[in-house]
Amino acid sequence: MEIKEEIIEEVLVCSINGEINLDTSPHLRKLFDKAIHNKRKRVLVDFSGVTYIDSSGLATLIEMMQKVNKIGGQMRLSNLSDKVRNIFEITKLDKLFQIYPDRHRALENFIG
Amino acid sequence: MDNSQREVIISLKNVTKVLGSVRVIDNVSFDIYKGDIFVIMGCSGSGKSTLLRLMTGILKPDEGNIFIHGRDITKISGKELDEIRRNFGMLFQYSALLDSLDVEENVALPLREHTKLDDHIIKIIVKLKLSLVGLKGFESYYPSEISGGMKKRVGLARAIALDPEIVFYDEPTSGLDPVVAGIIDKLIMDLSRKLLITSVVVTHDMQSVFRIADRVVMIHKGEVIQVGAPEEIRNSSNPYIQQFINGRPEGPIDFFKEDTSILEDLLK
Repeated sequence: MEIKEEIIEEVLVCSINGEINLDTSPHLRKLFDKAIHNKRKRVLVDFSGVTYIDSSGLATLIEMMQKVNKIGGQMRLSNLSDKVRNIFEITKLDKLFQIYPDRHRALENFIG
Repeated sequence: MDNSQREVIISLKNVTKVLGSVRVIDNVSFDIYKGDIFVIMGCSGSGKSTLLRLMTGILKPDEGNIFIHGRDITKISGKELDEIRRNFGMLFQYSALLDSLDVEENVALPLREHTKLDDHIIKIIVKLKLSLVGLKGFESYYPSEISGGMKKRVGLARAIALDPEIVFYDEPTSGLDPVVAGIIDKLIMDLSRKLLITSVVVTHDMQSVFRIADRVVMIHKGEVIQVGAPEEIRNSSNPYIQQFINGRPEGPIDFFKEDTSILEDLLK
C-alpha cells in the first residue's frame, strides 16, 4: 500500500494505492494520528487506487472519523470502486461516512 | 456458470485416512468452488467431521492430497500451514466460547492472537462483527448469560473476525430450535453471498442442507456416495441418499441391524 499526502486548500488529501489490510492499516493509522496531532480538521481519503479494504482498514477509518469529529472537523471519502463500496454497504458504513463519487466533488463541497 | 469455468478453492484428491484399523475416509475426491456453500452430509460416524479436520490441516491424510488455492497442505511445513489457516474461520459444534471471557473478548481472541492491532482498533472490529451477526450491544455479556443460538452467533462473529476466505462450520444448527436454526442458516447465506466467503458446512440437518447448499456431498462409511447440486441430491435414485434424506429406518444404511444374539444370551 502506498499513501500520497497533499494539502489542497486546508484539506489533507490522502490518496491510497493498493490493499488496506492487517499489514498495511497500521501505516494508515500512523498517518491519521499525525494529522490529528497537526490539528488537521478537514481530511479527504481518496480511494481511487484501493483494491481491497478489510475490517482493520474499516476500523482505522472509523477511529479517524471519531477523532476528527472530536476536534470539530470533517472526514470524507471519494472514488470508491464498486468492490470496495460493496464492503462499506455490507457493514452499513456507507451511511456513516460521507462518500463522494470523485475527488473534485468532495473537495468542492468541503471548501465551499 | 459451468463448474469447469469456476475457481476451485479446495480440492481433495483420493484422500484416505486410517484410524486404528478403520479406513474412516476412503479414497475421497471432490472440489469446492470459491464463494459456494458446500455441505458435507452423512450419518453420525460417517466421516464428515474427519473430513473437516483433514481440510483444516488438524489431521493429515495417510494417502492423497488436499489442495487449498492449489497448494497441497499435506506437503507443507507447520509455519506455511499456519499462514494458510489465517484465511480460515471455524465455527465449532458447541460454539467453543471461553466462559471466563465476555462476548467482546471471545470475538477479539483471534485478533489478539494473530495480529498486532491496537486495542482500540480491535474493539471497533469486534463491534462490526457483532453487528453483522445481529448482536450489537452484547459485548459485555458472558456466555452463561446468553442463549444457545446467541452463542452460535458469537462463535460466528469470532470465526469471521480475521475476514477469512473460507469458513468451516461443524454442525452449526445442532441443538437449536427450528427458528434459531433458520436464523443461523440465513446468517451463513448472508455472509457467504455478501462477503463472498466460501463456506464448508458439516451437517445432518436436512432442512438446512436444502436451504443453504450450493453443492452437497453425501458421505457414508468414509466414502463419497454422490456430489452434486441440492436438486440432484434430492432427485438422486441412489438408495443411500434416499434413505438418508427421508430418514427411513430401513434401507442400505444399517442404522440398526436386527440382532438375535440377545435371545441366545438370555438363555445362557
